[in-house]
Amino acid sequence: MNVTLTVNGEIRSASVPPETTLLVFLREHLLLTGAKTGCDIGDCGACTVIVDGKAVNACLMLAAQADGRAVTTIEGLATREGLHPLQKVFEETGALQCGFCGPGVILTSKALLDENPDPTTEEIRTALAGNLCRCTGYVKMIDGIHEAAKMMQSATPALPAPEQR
Amino acid sequence: MAEDLDVLDKTRIAPVDSLRRADEDLRLPVVARPSTLPLEPPLVPQVGEQTHAVGLRAQRPDSRDHGLGLTRYIDDIALPGMLYARIKRAGVASARIKSIDISAAEAMPGVMAVLLGREIPTNLFGTSIVDQPLLADPIVRQAGDGVAAVAAVTEQIAQAACDAIKVEYEPLPGVYDAIEALKPESHKVHGGDTNVYAKKVIRQGDVERGFAESYRIYEDEYYTPGIEHAPMEPFTSIADWDSNGRLTVYASIGRITLARVDLSKTLHVPISRIRVIGTIVGGNFGGKNEIRHEPVLALLAKKAGRPVKGRFTRVEEFVASTIRHAFFMKYKTGVSKDGKILARQIRMILDGGAYCSFSETTLGKACILSTGPYHVPNSFIEGYVVYTNKTTAGSMRGFGAPQVCFAYESQMDDIARDLKIDPLELRMKNFFRDGSMTATGQVLHSVKVIESMQNAVKKFGWETQS
Amino acid sequence: MKHRGRGLASMWYPVGFTGYANPSGAVVKVNEDGTAVVLTGTVETGQGSLGVLGQIAAEALGLAPNDIHIISGDTDTCPMDTGAIASRTTYITGNAVRIAAEKARDILFEVAAEMLGVKPNMLEAKDHKIQVQSFPSRNVAIADVSSRAHNGIGTPPIGSATWNPPMVPMDPETGQGKPFGTYVYATQIAEVDVDDETGEVEVLRVTASHDCGTAINPMLVEGQIDGGVYMGLGFALYEEILFDKAGKQINCNLTNYIMPTTLDMPAIDEDIVENYDHTGPFGAKAVGEPSLVPTAPAITNAIYDAVGVRITALPATAERVLAAIKAKRAREQKQIPA
Repeated sequence: MNVTLTVNGEIRSASVPPETTLLVFLREHLLLTGAKTGCDIGDCGACTVIVDGKAVNACLMLAAQADGRAVTTIEGLATREGLHPLQKVFEETGALQCGFCGPGVILTSKALLDENPDPTTEEIRTALAGNLCRCTGYVKMIDGIHEAAKMMQSATPALPAPEQR
Repeated sequence: MAEDLDVLDKTRIAPVDSLRRADEDLRLPVVARPSTLPLEPPLVPQVGEQTHAVGLRAQRPDSRDHGLGLTRYIDDIALPGMLYARIKRAGVASARIKSIDISAAEAMPGVMAVLLGREIPTNLFGTSIVDQPLLADPIVRQAGDGVAAVAAVTEQIAQAACDAIKVEYEPLPGVYDAIEALKPESHKVHGGDTNVYAKKVIRQGDVERGFAESYRIYEDEYYTPGIEHAPMEPFTSIADWDSNGRLTVYASIGRITLARVDLSKTLHVPISRIRVIGTIVGGNFGGKNEIRHEPVLALLAKKAGRPVKGRFTRVEEFVASTIRHAFFMKYKTGVSKDGKILARQIRMILDGGAYCSFSETTLGKACILSTGPYHVPNSFIEGYVVYTNKTTAGSMRGFGAPQVCFAYESQMDDIARDLKIDPLELRMKNFFRDGSMTATGQVLHSVKVIESMQNAVKKFGWETQS
Repeated sequence: MKHRGRGLASMWYPVGFTGYANPSGAVVKVNEDGTAVVLTGTVETGQGSLGVLGQIAAEALGLAPNDIHIISGDTDTCPMDTGAIASRTTYITGNAVRIAAEKARDILFEVAAEMLGVKPNMLEAKDHKIQVQSFPSRNVAIADVSSRAHNGIGTPPIGSATWNPPMVPMDPETGQGKPFGTYVYATQIAEVDVDDETGEVEVLRVTASHDCGTAINPMLVEGQIDGGVYMGLGFALYEEILFDKAGKQINCNLTNYIMPTTLDMPAIDEDIVENYDHTGPFGAKAVGEPSLVPTAPAITNAIYDAVGVRITALPATAERVLAAIKAKRAREQKQIPA
């Protein structure tokens, strides 16, 4: 069957068997290998991508279910202007070690920050509960998400307050 | 390509069907463009004005690729014409293979090669005792043993072909408990007259005299279970032959030189004709220190004439790789009235599972470290690893140290409580110092255990809390 | 009711293999522009070891970490290395890299000595310069020295070395010997809440003080400590492979094999003990494996402090802790005279 979706802002389509998961679609048909196969049954979160603003396990979603939707993968996060604040903070602080869980962790965090620009530590922990990491103990990740949230807030230009003038 | 994209005005919202038609009409490549890489230099504190590179909180060289999802792990590598391998697992822990019927699997469209254990030139490997077959033939000793392997054009076909392989087993008696395995009447996993395959003894001083001089003697037993490494990246390798008969193996293995030696021994190919490329490992923790299926992949690749990738499923990662040894420990410690350790007798049994792997190293480290970071003038340590028909235990982060540390530090607290001595003070009385001698007679240097306790106590706020 | 407790555990841990040779080789090549390439047979498994090796080479050559490029993990092109195992990379491969870099630097010294009109043994490499010891203003840029070595003198600065820790194998009868080059030490303290109605243990914070010799990169050392405490937490409270009576694993997937998630993690306060081991590269030893060793007993000692029960079998699941609490209550009731 033919699946067409918007990946990182660009429309892509491919003809795939109906049982193809979104993860296989991205990795094998679009050659976007940033999302990883860690368990293939939705336990580890290494395959996390963002579909219509929500972080999902790409191994649990059929490619057909993503038809017509907008998918963001780790490859689509950095822009010509530079790294996403999460990428920047994570690389500067060594928040990732082996890095295998990294794309999933970063995308889950991005989905969180898009919805909740100033999350509490508890909210970060809850959001990341489905992303397993065996190296880092999540410590520098959680700190990094706070830091990235601060960066993103300060980067937003403050609203003008004309009524005071 | 940028011009092509402009044809599809991205701001216009079009129904998916028309987009799909437009897409097909345009024959867009299905590969999304990689994002333009940011060019700002990574954050590395600069060395200058007589400062040092050592001690810098420098950014890791791989961290940008990690964050961008560009790190190329082994599963992200695909060679042209590459096939996918699957290994059929026994699913029974102790049995003799009576027959294997691979005809249905071989007849499946898309199946390019099937391999059995008897086709492997030397179907045994191991880091110290060479006792582990790559594919069981004919004895199955653990449920995760492979019995046949298939290479096919897709993973799904390879799996279906594995399912179509019919194996007839003759059940054998088994032993599933390390203590049971010590009994004379127990099933012998590898034949012979004992399941004990590694033993370690360390003696220093006179432990009986030490106990005789002791004010109190404490005897306790401890147990720690088998643990899975569970790296996020499953064990994966690719085998590829060139036309000169030279083999290249890409693998997420932490010890490529050992892997090359084992490949050479099992395949009967000279070392000079084997290249092992260790890809960035997506988590190791000791579980990726030796070969698992690489010779099997190499032989499948040779049969099929195409490169072959094998990736463990998450379940295989549990049942067909190694695990941390389960430990049964007995600690007998004699102390003086003021809390000085005078003698320690330790006996430990390690559940080694079906094959040796890194058991000897694990046992050695566990025995050496079992007295704790304490000066013990009289010690007698004996440790044994036994075969059982359970998952093979091998190296895992700490090599026996977390197990014995659980025992000696639990007992230290109990001794302190019983003697009504502060647990910190009891440790302080016994800690190693520079020049202390270990149970193996090694004189220590660079000892900082006292400082580590002082720092931890201060940072934690131990004193202010009590 | 929840009870708070705290527990402490110390440990020691050796670096490298147990009385067996486990050498590492390294090749360091200084380029014409004063940057360098390091060849090593080890493999990056997530610890950040390649960055650490780069910092060691940079220190020996008087360069910055960014000036070093590492090639690793290929049996055809890289020198022999026993591999990323036994917490040995910084200590053993690091020593090989240090010595190889010093050999390459000595070639630079020969060339620079002539350029500066001094003896080679009066020189040092710092800040991208070869300079006269105690007279840093008399210097020449490493790039210029290396370019001259390559194209003028004809002695490209390439150094290679191997290193194996000094050991004496253990006697099979008595176990006496010197199995390791050096050891590291650590103490961890855990604070827990234990619910005496459910047996549930919550680890609130862990203070982890580790001796790793010189911390080549303190940020990466902290990362190793964080990950070690995480793995120790799993060992203490959650993780256990369960087998059925026929030797088959029951919980062989990440759904049923319980590993700590973000929700289980305590706050971690890392501490690096000041130390310098003269046998290690620039005083460094190891931290990879040891960081997980004392966590479990620190937690079970804290459980004892909270509710007075001794856990002797791991993991200390809620069921086990609750059973121990109930057994303790039963014992205490028996002791009360009727």
